[in-house]
Amino acid sequence: MLPPVKKDRVITHLPKCFSPNAALHTKAGFHPQVKAMCQAQKADAMSFNIAKVIVVGDVAVGKTCLISRFCKGAFSKTYKATIGVDFEMERFEVLGVPFSLQLWDTAGQERFKCIASTYYRGAQAIIVVFDLSSVNSLTHARQWLEDAMKENDPSSVLLFLVGTKKDLSTPDQLAQTEQEAIRLSEEIKAEYWAVSAKSGEGVRDFFSRVASLTFEANVLAELEKSGSRHIKDIIRITDSTEANYTPKRKSNCC
Amino acid sequence: MALQGSEELGEQVEEPEDLDDQDASSISPAEEITLPPGPGGDEESEEALLLPWDRFSAWLHCICVVGFDLELGQAVEVIYPHHSKLSEKEKTSICYLSFPDSNSGCLGDTQFCFRFRQGSNRKSSLGCFLETADRDAPPCLKREQGHYYGYVYFRQVRDKSLKRGYFQKSLVLISKLPYVTFFHSLLKIMAPEYFEKQEPCLEAACNDIDRWPTPHPGRILTLPIMGVVLKIRIPTCYDKPGTSQLVHSAQSDSLVSIVLPTIHEVDLFRCFYPVFFHIQMLWELVLLGEALVVMAPSPAESSDTVLALVSCISPLRYGSDFRPYFTIHDSEFKEYTTRTQAPPSVILGVTNPFFAKTLQHWPHIIRIGDMKQAGEMAKQMKVKKLKNLKTLDSKPGVYTAYKPYLNKDEDIIKQLQKGVQQKRPSAAQNAILRRYFLELTQSFIIPLERYVASLMPLQKTISPWKSPPQLRPFIQQDFMRTLEKAGPQLTSRLKGDWIGLYRHFLKSPNFDGWFRNRRREMTQKLEALHLEALCEEDLQQRIQKHTEVEAVDLVLKLKDKLTQAEREQLPLRPGTITKLRSHIDAVILALPEDLQGILHKPPTP
Repeated sequence: MLPPVKKDRVITHLPKCFSPNAALHTKAGFHPQVKAMCQAQKADAMSFNIAKVIVVGDVAVGKTCLISRFCKGAFSKTYKATIGVDFEMERFEVLGVPFSLQLWDTAGQERFKCIASTYYRGAQAIIVVFDLSSVNSLTHARQWLEDAMKENDPSSVLLFLVGTKKDLSTPDQLAQTEQEAIRLSEEIKAEYWAVSAKSGEGVRDFFSRVASLTFEANVLAELEKSGSRHIKDIIRITDSTEANYTPKRKSNCC
Repeated sequence: MALQGSEELGEQVEEPEDLDDQDASSISPAEEITLPPGPGGDEESEEALLLPWDRFSAWLHCICVVGFDLELGQAVEVIYPHHSKLSEKEKTSICYLSFPDSNSGCLGDTQFCFRFRQGSNRKSSLGCFLETADRDAPPCLKREQGHYYGYVYFRQVRDKSLKRGYFQKSLVLISKLPYVTFFHSLLKIMAPEYFEKQEPCLEAACNDIDRWPTPHPGRILTLPIMGVVLKIRIPTCYDKPGTSQLVHSAQSDSLVSIVLPTIHEVDLFRCFYPVFFHIQMLWELVLLGEALVVMAPSPAESSDTVLALVSCISPLRYGSDFRPYFTIHDSEFKEYTTRTQAPPSVILGVTNPFFAKTLQHWPHIIRIGDMKQAGEMAKQMKVKKLKNLKTLDSKPGVYTAYKPYLNKDEDIIKQLQKGVQQKRPSAAQNAILRRYFLELTQSFIIPLERYVASLMPLQKTISPWKSPPQLRPFIQQDFMRTLEKAGPQLTSRLKGDWIGLYRHFLKSPNFDGWFRNRRREMTQKLEALHLEALCEEDLQQRIQKHTEVEAVDLVLKLKDKLTQAEREQLPLRPGTITKLRSHIDAVILALPEDLQGILHKPPTP
C-alpha cells in the first residue's frame, strides 16, 4: 500500500552521536537484544513501530526549518510563524523493521504556551531547539524542557538539545556556546547536536540518530513488557499443577 | 431484447454482492479496485493547488462556541475561522440547537448532533474539487447539498463563581459531511481542551485541520489533531457492504494514535434497544419515507435514534429531511407541525414535552425512555394505539396504526434476545442487527437494480454520428412483472405482501432519490460510451468528405463534448480525453490557416 521507504531513511547501523561528551549513550551499535529481536521476528514488530517526537524552543530559533530541511529537503529564507503546531510524519526502516517518527513542531510564541501541554502528551522524544547565535535561546531551553516534561514520564523520554544556525556563528562564538550547551546537556541528560538547516549540515545524521535511539528504546521497553509477561506465564503454569487451579471459563461471545 | 442489452452493458449498474458470499477471509473488493483517476489529473497536483483554509473547508464549514448570556439567552460567542459566513437565521438555529431544550438535566458532558437547512445559496470555490472526492463515496456518505450538520459537545457543570450558578457551553462543529462517529471522536479530543484553554486552542486545532488531506473515500487518512493522530478510512461505493477495511493494528497507543474503525456507523442495537420488537416495522416506515417522530429524554438519545433510523436502510440513502434533534425554535417548526396538511415525509427527534401535544396527529411516534437504565428486556411488546399517547408520561414504545407489509421475522428477535440473556457484547449485537438490516434492504433493492439495468439501450444502438440513445422509461407494471421470477424471494425467506411494499415504495421520496441517482449514472455511462465510440472513428477521413463549415461544426461539437466530459466527470476509459484532444487538434490542423488561428483559441471562460 505504501511506497518503499526512501534509501536514506534505511538504517542498518546505529549512527554515531555528535559529541561523546553529551550523548544519550556512546555504544558503537544497537543493543544486542534489539538486534536479535529484529532478526528473529520482523513481522511481529507491530506495537513499537511509531514514536511521537515533539520539537520545542524559543520563537524563531528555526524549529520548522530544521524539520522541513529533513522532511522536504528544502530551506526557506522567509520566516513564517507556526500557528499552534505543525505536523510531519517521516518513515524509516531500522534494522529491517518499518518505523515512523511523528514530528510535532510546536509554536514558540507565548500565546500558544497554554495549549502546548495538550500536544506534549505521550512523547517518546523531546527535541529542545536553540539558536547557536543567541545565548538567550539557550538559557530558555531549560524552561522549555521543564514544561514539556510535565506531561511526560521522565524515565521514558529521550532528550535532545539541538543548536541551529551553525552557519551563522563564528568559530569562536560557536566554541563558547557549545561549551555551555554541553554543560546543560550533561545536567539535563540530553544528547547535544549542532546543525545548520540552511546548509543541511548534520540534519540527516541527527534525525537518523533520533529515529535509531527511539526505536531502540521502544524495542527494549517492549521486551521488558513481554519479559514480565513470560514470567507471569511461568507462574501460571506452575500454578496449574496445584489442585486449586480452575481453568478459565470460555466466553460466550460469538 | 432488453435482457440482451443488460448483458452487454451489464457493468453499468453494479449489482450488490451475492448475499451468501460472506466468507470473512475473502479479500474485500476495495483492496483490489484501484479508483479510476478523475480526468482532472493526478491528486497530488490538485492538492498542491489548495489555498489556506481550503483543506479546513473540505472538512468543516466552521466551528462555533455557543454560550449562555444572562440577558440574551443562548448566543454564538465565537465563530472560527473568523471569516466563515453564517446568516443571522443560521446563527439562531445553531444557538437553539446546540443546547438541550426545556428542563432536561444533562449535567456533565453530553454529545449529540443536529441538522439544519442551509440559508442562503452560498457557493464554495472548492465545489469542483470536492465533487471529485464525493463521486467515490457511497450514497449515504455524500456531502449534504442543502443542509448542514451540527455536531455538539455540551458541557454543563456547577460553577458557583458564575451568576447563573452553572457553566453551560457548547462547542459545535458545522459540516456538510455526515461522518457522525468521526466528528464525535474529534470533539471528544478538542472540546475538553477548549473548555480549559480557550481560544488559542481553537486556533491551533483549526490549523491542524487545515493541514489534513482532503476527505477522499478509499484512502487511509492520517489526521493529526491536538497531539494525537486519528486514522480513518472513508468508505467508497465500491466497498462490499458490511465490511470494514480499517482494522485495529495491534495495541495502538491511544496517546499517540487512534484508529477509528468506522466514521459514520452508530450503535444500532443500543439505539433500537428500547423498541427492538418493532425493528422490522421501523425499517418499513423509514423505507417508505413515512412521517416519524422520536420523543426522547435528551438530545443525545433523540439524535442517536434518528441517525439509527436513517441508517437502517443503508446502502439506500434516506431521501427526505431528517432532524436528529428538533426544537420549537426551529425555522421549520411551523412548516413541519402544521395540522392543515398531512404530516410531511420527515423524521424528527425531539425532547421537549410540548411536542407530545403538537405532534399528536402524527401517524407514527416512537417514545423512548432513558437508555442508560439497561434493565431486563420485556418479553413481548405490543404496538400502542395512537389515542393512548396523550399525556407527557406515556410509556416507551411505538405508537402507530400501521400494518406492516411483511410478516415479522421472529428469528432475529430471538437471536438478539438470546444475546441479551447471554450478555453478548454490544458490538456483536450491533453487528448482527446491522447485517440483518443490510440483507433485508438488499433483498428489497436487488430486483429494482436488475430492472433498471435492463432499461439501458443496447450497445449497438450507440452511433458516434447520432446523439446518444435515451434510457428506456421506468414502467411500474413491467417492473412488477419481473418480481414473479426474480423478486426478493430469491434472497429473503421473509413472506408477506412484498408487492404492496414495492407499490408504496415507488411513490416515496426514497425511490425518487434512488432512481434519479441511478438514471444520472446510466445517462453519464451512455454519454461516456458514445464519446468513446466517437474517439474510435477516423475523423480526418470523415472531414475530407465534408465541407469546411461542417468541419468547423465538428470541432465545436467535440470541444463541447470535452468540456462536458470534464465537468461531469464522465466514467471514461483512461486515455479517452487525450484521444479526443488529439482528434480535435488533428481536425483543426487540416483546416486553412486563418481558421486554425480562431479555433485554437482556448474557450473564453
